[in-house]
Amino acid sequence: MEDQDLVRREAAHEEDVSTQAWLIGAAGWFCPGAGHMLQGKWARALILGGAVWVCYLAGLWMGGHLFTVGGSAEGGLSALLQVPPTIADLGSGVLYIFCWILGVGFADDPAHAARATYEYGTNFLLIAGLLNYLVMLDAFDVSVGRKP
Amino acid sequence: MRHVLVMTTFAFIASVVFGAVAKDTSKDRFLYGLKVFAEFMVIGLALSWALYFLPL
Repeated sequence: MEDQDLVRREAAHEEDVSTQAWLIGAAGWFCPGAGHMLQGKWARALILGGAVWVCYLAGLWMGGHLFTVGGSAEGGLSALLQVPPTIADLGSGVLYIFCWILGVGFADDPAHAARATYEYGTNFLLIAGLLNYLVMLDAFDVSVGRKP
Repeated sequence: MRHVLVMTTFAFIASVVFGAVAKDTSKDRFLYGLKVFAEFMVIGLALSWALYFLPL
């Protein structure tokens, strides 16, 4: 009887840990660095979150372009090609959402693309999103105890 | 010069994240980050010189 109680309590505890880890992962995606901050890992939050924020802001400053799925005027394959970079950009969480609401970085005109740093900026924005996916996974791993 | 600066900035940011998420101790993280940074820089410079000689 006691063994069954112990097993039940352990299962409930594991479920709690799992739910908490998913929430921390979601927080880490939504706001870069928040996943580590919620676990009290302030230095890691500052370093990892800071790197993503700096990368994203540098990309915007350089005049980079943010992608959306419906961003292309043409349909078919052209629209399909927008999907992978949109997934990468979405990794930045609230930064992307904030820019999407304000309409910053989504301009697709020749004058904007003529900037010398346009391509660099676009890549910085993509990389910021991809790096934040790594940071988010790290926060998840720390939360479930796979990492110190 | 601007190209090198942008490449260095990218290499630094990427190596900070790679270093921080890849290893378990602070020393290993620092060394791995340094290694990734050096790799980005060396490969970037090598590729840019290789492309310089190609008639593109």
